Amino acid sequence: MSIPQMTSSSPESPPGITRRTLLKGSAAVALGAVALSSVRGVAGEEAAPGASSGPQAKGKVIDCHAHLTHHSRSNWEADDRKLIEAADKLGIEQLCCSTLTPRWPASLEGFRECNQWTVEGMRRFPGRVLGYCYVNPGYGRESLEEIRRYVGDRGFIGIKLYNEYTCTEPVVFPVVELAIELGVPILHHASHSHYFVEEQPRLTDGGHLAELARRYPEAMLICAHISGGGDWEWTIKAARHAPNLMLDTSGSVTDANTVDMAAAIVGVDRLVFGCDSSMTAGIGKIRGADLSTQDKEKILGGNMMRLLGRRKA
Amino acid sequence: MIIDVNAYLGHFAFRRLRHNTAASLLALMDSRKIDKAVVSSAAAITYRNAQAGNEELAEEVKSHRDRLIPFAVINPFYAGWQDDLKICHEEFGMTGLRLYPKWHNYSLSSPSCRELVTAATERGMVISIPIRVEDNRERSWLLNIPDIPLEEIVELVKAHPKSRFILLNGLGYTGSPLGRKDNGLPTNYTVEISRLSAVLANEIGQLITNLGAERMMFGTGMPFNYPDPALVKLEVLDATEPDKDKIRCRSAVTWLRL
Repeated sequence: MSIPQMTSSSPESPPGITRRTLLKGSAAVALGAVALSSVRGVAGEEAAPGASSGPQAKGKVIDCHAHLTHHSRSNWEADDRKLIEAADKLGIEQLCCSTLTPRWPASLEGFRECNQWTVEGMRRFPGRVLGYCYVNPGYGRESLEEIRRYVGDRGFIGIKLYNEYTCTEPVVFPVVELAIELGVPILHHASHSHYFVEEQPRLTDGGHLAELARRYPEAMLICAHISGGGDWEWTIKAARHAPNLMLDTSGSVTDANTVDMAAAIVGVDRLVFGCDSSMTAGIGKIRGADLSTQDKEKILGGNMMRLLGRRKA
Repeated sequence: MIIDVNAYLGHFAFRRLRHNTAASLLALMDSRKIDKAVVSSAAAITYRNAQAGNEELAEEVKSHRDRLIPFAVINPFYAGWQDDLKICHEEFGMTGLRLYPKWHNYSLSSPSCRELVTAATERGMVISIPIRVEDNRERSWLLNIPDIPLEEIVELVKAHPKSRFILLNGLGYTGSPLGRKDNGLPTNYTVEISRLSAVLANEIGQLITNLGAERMMFGTGMPFNYPDPALVKLEVLDATEPDKDKIRCRSAVTWLRL
């Protein structure tokens, strides 16, 4: 299955703040911004509405870690619209989204309705929203059926796992094996703090994911939000020797050197751009990194395109 | 012109910082078209004797006073703080303070702190308060320093209506009296934008409406932070150009009396 085409940006976008003017302005403001602007230059002009955006497209900016709003929130529709408008402003063309339950562990009914809402989001924002299938691996057979239904039949691009289980627990392995079978990535919530996080007792960290990656070298694993997951220096070092573990740059933390150190330790080919709702932080960190235009292009979308291109028919 | 009211020099105890010398920070500022920056000692956050950090800072910025505006870090519970304040102001030419009540283990409502704020105000110094230094989740195993609750800031600004405060590295003001319109508080504080949203919840936009852009200031938190996220906020912010200009520099020029 090819990656959905992108549609035109929101007609509600405030006048004068478009992706094009943003990037033009960025280049004028900061040397670091030149890189992002240049990405567009390298990639050619912005894709025309409806233009092909297959896995070979260059210069595409893909947020690998985004969320649609749970429908228990009264303003969910407006919030989802704001997410797309923010992406428009920042030049983010596609957002890989899951919808999460407000409480964990997620119930079977809870993640099922979330995935249905993600499908609806993909329909409301065709080509902009790509779906992750969120499951609680503790539901075993039902979780695998859910993944087959949404990834296999409804075009979701990957699997989202949260904190119900540490990723090295055997209950997670069938999900990883199914992801390998389907050829899709798993975005796994992760954090490493130097204290016990009481509210997330089975929290996964970069070390756990590296262990899982070594157990399943064919798997495509993404360690979520290094910039919102505690000690990012620890996480980057823990991921070093697991070549099939990618690091997602998202999170609210804008610590200098995060992206630079990650690039130096694991290599730019293993970094994927994300925001996790911290939109200006997400773009700003990539701009701020002391990396070449080509390297930033890989992080902003090239690497994610490569992962998505490995999907099996 | 862009003025960054939230910058630092020197070493930080728990993480290596790049661009933490005057020369390298200025090069970073040049690359981002940032004209001036208010700087304080990062080392003074964890030095027991913060004045040593102020001395290092004074030496570092000596040749760059046209662009780097040094602020002093004073701990009002450390011996000789009155002497330190006098030296920082009169000898080092520091025109403002940065306070770290949680890192230095005192209360903003303590008599010593109130005495420091009063003394600094009498000298015409601005008092800036970083609500946090780092995200608490990445803290060292050695310590656990909480963010400063905004309620404590509310009490401080009420108690010192003649003082001038700049609140750094904060967010959530719109959920506090500090960020509400007609809140009954003195208009003696400004808010810096480095952690505020410019899209989605758009707290910057809400604060422009509630407080006015003349009470908001540009800041990056560099070299702790990449400067670029704050610059991106200015670019995408849905505000008038005059309001953006106030945030970029006009508010700082007024408040810092540049």
